[in-house]
Amino acid sequence: MERTGAQIVMAGLKRHGVKTIFGYPGGVVLPLYDEMLNWPEVEHILVRHEQCGAHMADGYARATGEVGVCLATSGPGATNLVTGIATAMMDSVPIVCITGNVNSWAIGKDAFQETDIQGISLPITKHNYLVTDINDLPGVLVEAFYLANSGRKGPVLVDIPKDVFTAKTTNDFPEPEPREGYILPGMPVESELDEAARLLMAAERPIIIAGQGAIAAEATEELLALAEKLDCPVANTLLGTGAVPRSHDLSLGMAGMHGEAAPTMAIQAADLVVSLGSRFDDRLTGATKSFGEGAKMVHFDIDPSEHGKAVHTHCTVTGHLKPAIQSLLKKVDSKKHPEWRATVSGFQKDFPLVVPEGGFFTRHVISALQAANKGDAIISTDVGQHQMWSAQFYRPEEPRKFLSSGGLGTMGCGVPYAIGAKFGCPDQEVWAVCGDGGFQMTLQELAVMKEHNVGVKICLCNNSFLGMVRQWQELFFEKRYSSVAITSPDYAKLAEAYGIPYVRCETAEEVDAKIAEARAIDGPVLCEFVVEMEENVYPMVPAGGSNSDLIQDPDLKVKTSTGGQQ
Amino acid sequence: MSPTTRTRTITSLVQNESGTLNRLVSMFRRRGFSLNSLNAGDCERPGYSRVTFVIDADDGTLGQVLNQVERLIEVVEVEDITDETSVTRELVLVHLFGSDIELNRAGLECIAKGGKILTFEQGAATMELSGEPDEIEEFVANISPQLQRTVHRTGAIALHTNPWR
Ligand SMILES: Cc1ncc(C[n+]2csc(CCOP(=O)(O)OP(=O)(O)O)c2C)c(N)n1
Repeated sequence: MERTGAQIVMAGLKRHGVKTIFGYPGGVVLPLYDEMLNWPEVEHILVRHEQCGAHMADGYARATGEVGVCLATSGPGATNLVTGIATAMMDSVPIVCITGNVNSWAIGKDAFQETDIQGISLPITKHNYLVTDINDLPGVLVEAFYLANSGRKGPVLVDIPKDVFTAKTTNDFPEPEPREGYILPGMPVESELDEAARLLMAAERPIIIAGQGAIAAEATEELLALAEKLDCPVANTLLGTGAVPRSHDLSLGMAGMHGEAAPTMAIQAADLVVSLGSRFDDRLTGATKSFGEGAKMVHFDIDPSEHGKAVHTHCTVTGHLKPAIQSLLKKVDSKKHPEWRATVSGFQKDFPLVVPEGGFFTRHVISALQAANKGDAIISTDVGQHQMWSAQFYRPEEPRKFLSSGGLGTMGCGVPYAIGAKFGCPDQEVWAVCGDGGFQMTLQELAVMKEHNVGVKICLCNNSFLGMVRQWQELFFEKRYSSVAITSPDYAKLAEAYGIPYVRCETAEEVDAKIAEARAIDGPVLCEFVVEMEENVYPMVPAGGSNSDLIQDPDLKVKTSTGGQQ
Repeated sequence: MSPTTRTRTITSLVQNESGTLNRLVSMFRRRGFSLNSLNAGDCERPGYSRVTFVIDADDGTLGQVLNQVERLIEVVEVEDITDETSVTRELVLVHLFGSDIELNRAGLECIAKGGKILTFEQGAATMELSGEPDEIEEFVANISPQLQRTVHRTGAIALHTNPWR
């Protein structure tokens, strides 16, 4: 059967089970938008900025584990995707980005709205294509989805010239097949696993670091089974939040720069650190020389290029995490570490998170959110202080409940992530936690929420500052505030203008009631929490500092039983 | 500089697609690996190229480079053959101007090393020489300073030649 390029794209989306795509039209994608009208089973969401299209696809993928799809026209449409693609790349999120380009014969001639998006996106995609021959299109689409969501996942971009959308081919979709240069990582080699098992059996103070890789590999049950069998506490990275149920007594929470004290201190005190799907980001490790100083390092990763990249490891295990842990479970015996567990509990007791009294803090808001939905709602965060407090105070019981830009730290992703997640998981409660800075970067997407009645609750923590930057200026630049005070529009009027209900909260006393009010509203809500202006995130490891020199919260005034310094 | 830093020769087999070479070079630049030379050309399989890289790297960086190259979708194989049974060759073209005495001297040196004189007119000559990169280095370095020159070296290409690997 002969089909046009546009028909092939739509059939390809349908074939891959895509029900929602996030896009924005323009000249060169007109044939595709025209064809779209014949495919009601694939819903197109008209975003208000292409960057948010990429973020929505990304949020959709993070929440569902399926490939998210975004679409943009050539030139400015394609370049607007860049931040969103780079964000997905840094966090290994499977998205497929389809861009139109000028007619194939006009490429390279500076045609109207021509841009070399293949060249631009080269370092921020797992792979990309410029399809100049219609006969290649079915194969490229199949491979794009296959690459995006296999191995180490990531964004794949397919650039399609206008004439290829209208050209015809009888070629059908091939079965996805691993190509020669792309070998899917499977079971790790036996000797690596044996060595890891030996180290685990010999360890007296082991700790597991759960990264997003554990979630991507759907190996979280195995991870928990391993931790339980070995009586081994689990720290998580920012993106590993939810990899183990946060209420589990082996779960210590996030380690690193703004992690909780206990997991960070436990890594420093451990004699064995086992990373399961984390790439030892600098926000986790601080100065790498002193990270887990006294410990042997075991690193499980699907991507061999992560081994030895950031920290020195004693044992590396390359392969898919799920079969790897399954096999490891058979190689280790049950262990108990009562002394070590007591030491770690001591850290937890001595250095808990604190919510200060006498004011209205973002910490009140996130604690109340946690209390209201018990970690069961999906929350996306933007980037800044509220993001760190969300990681500290929000306690998901399951993976894919905490969506956040970790690697790139992209302000503005909070709202589009939540929208993407809600499209992917319509039956779940979805909150977007944002600061007043990041929210103002992408708030035009309120229009999408209104238009499609997307029931995302926006938790806007308004401190009238670019809080995280202000904190650094306070602590490291003698409080010389430079361009960190930020004004906001009247959010009540803004919500009204977009036709969205608005809830306002100004005191800690009313926060539970206000969150309940927002939850009771069916559909989108903008909740503004007018919080303290100068609240700081603790604990904290200054950039480049050692995790052993953690600065504890000055509000934490307790006698320590472990003798740790405050 | 780490004690293990030395010049390494890496060969790879890659599938030719739009952007393949760009992707390779972009990766080296982005990750801050500096390339001494890169040489790509056709090979025994249609649609594929062999690419030889020469880099100065310590053991750690070498491992990273190999992993990062391997990670590219189009790369079928990649190998450090610095210490393997292999042949490495480089070609240089030189165009020299100056006194016939000095040109003669350079020409004899070139022929002694197995090279060719491509053109020789009064006051100007073009020569070609292929050999181990060190030999090329030596030949170029020994050209008389009295001769003006344009020099074009190709960078190394290399092949693994161990039949039992
Ligand atoms: C697109 C982008 N620009 C700049 C930054 C640098 N940055 C990191 S956090 C931050 C402040 C965020 O302020 P706000 O959104 O109000 O959140 P808060 O820290 O107050 O919770 C800035 C500017 C960034 N991460 N992303």
